[in-house]
Amino acid sequence: MDRREFIKVCSVMAAAGLLYGCRKIPFVGKASSDESLSRAIPALKDFEDEVEKAMARGGKNLDLVKVPMPSILNASDADLQNRFGMAIDLDACNGCGKCIMACIVENNIPLVTEEEREKDRFMHWIKMRGDAPFMCAHCGDAPCEKVCPTGAANHTPDGLSAMMYKRCAGSRFCGANCPEKARKFNYNDAEELGLLRKFNAEVPVRGKGVMEKCSMCLQRLQNDRLRFKAEHPFNEWRGRNVKTACAEACPRNAIIFGNWLDPESPLVKAAKHRELFAPRSIAKFDPSVVYMRGRR
Amino acid sequence: MKYFAVTVLGAIFAFLLADFMLAQPSSPQSTSLQASLSDAGGNATAIAFKHALHGDSIGLDCAHCHTGAKTAAHAYMPSKSDCIDCHRLPLTENPGIETLDSALSVAPSEPWVKKSMLPDHVQFHHGVHTVAGVSCDECHGNYKSDSYGGEKFDMRTCLACHRGETDASRNFKRAATYCAACHR
Repeated sequence: MDRREFIKVCSVMAAAGLLYGCRKIPFVGKASSDESLSRAIPALKDFEDEVEKAMARGGKNLDLVKVPMPSILNASDADLQNRFGMAIDLDACNGCGKCIMACIVENNIPLVTEEEREKDRFMHWIKMRGDAPFMCAHCGDAPCEKVCPTGAANHTPDGLSAMMYKRCAGSRFCGANCPEKARKFNYNDAEELGLLRKFNAEVPVRGKGVMEKCSMCLQRLQNDRLRFKAEHPFNEWRGRNVKTACAEACPRNAIIFGNWLDPESPLVKAAKHRELFAPRSIAKFDPSVVYMRGRR
Repeated sequence: MKYFAVTVLGAIFAFLLADFMLAQPSSPQSTSLQASLSDAGGNATAIAFKHALHGDSIGLDCAHCHTGAKTAAHAYMPSKSDCIDCHRLPLTENPGIETLDSALSVAPSEPWVKKSMLPDHVQFHHGVHTVAGVSCDECHGNYKSDSYGGEKFDMRTCLACHRGETDASRNFKRAATYCAACHR
């Protein structure tokens, strides 16, 4: 092979290599738009059907024991003015399940695959258990938060067991340590599988490998807090304008959201003269979400 | 044979050039009115917007144009119609005002391109910070010199104030540092 021949071969090979490297360039724009089109977005009906299926399967009845009314958190940074919580009125609730649907729409909760549905693994943050909704009780002394290796599960001073999704590494220790299994793990990339519909722009979508659970509509509380602080800088915010999505959706007003430390709160007014209960397994952890029944 | 090699090398060079051009990141967004006016209108005699002429000197508050800066979650960036609100009348004897009028008439309706860099798991409420006594130049230090963009806001910047580390120099109160205060 002479010198010219050698250069020729090298040039042809280099050109071929470049062509190979550039093969995708003309399709870049097209390919990405096709991809976004193929990603299906489920209809509202699909979510309703899934709620129906979850309700039909039901869950273990709650084993309730009496608890005192929640008071100031036992924490060094506890807020002395606010501790948010809910009371579920067992005398009023008829287990219609409208709260589950409202929660899905508020918090962008994805559908699950057929296979998981068969295993009774739904992503719903609320589960019907013996005709009463059950969600994370936001325990004051939460066992889930103690085992989180990254600090993604932590407590706010005003009594919410919060979840920082970007910090979650997916160890699932929290889920294992919750006696009532109120946490749900994202086994799938729901967006990729076309199981997600982004109803509410205020709530970020959780990715694959992240634990999630009831946030007590953190976004509603924080948005109201910020709005209030900007408009009334010298007043104390007590979260009086806020209602969680489930409480808002309940047709019988059986879920009451409010501030346990505010005597003006509808929650305290409703719970004052009632017997309060919590599931036996978490009663000792100072839950913020309790059940009420009968008169005291 | 010689021409063939030249052609091949030329083709390779063309590919390299094409690759280089295509790999370039898109040109940065124009951040000043001056840049976008001259881009859009093709008007060589573009006018520069000067904060110094529009702010304290004529008794205008920032929130006058950036509405919501004191109360709402986001401070609004004015559009051309907001400029025209005041500028439909000649406001000064300045000969430049005619240039301004002609430039405004050809300007796009939204002269400023503003893209929030805040990720969706972070919440920032502009009004709360203004009401808490943070003055504009604490964060937007370069607005008076009319150079825009390039402010670096990261969690460290937020936390320095929220933890009270800037207490002594700037007289800020401590603020919430629990995760859910800003994150979701």
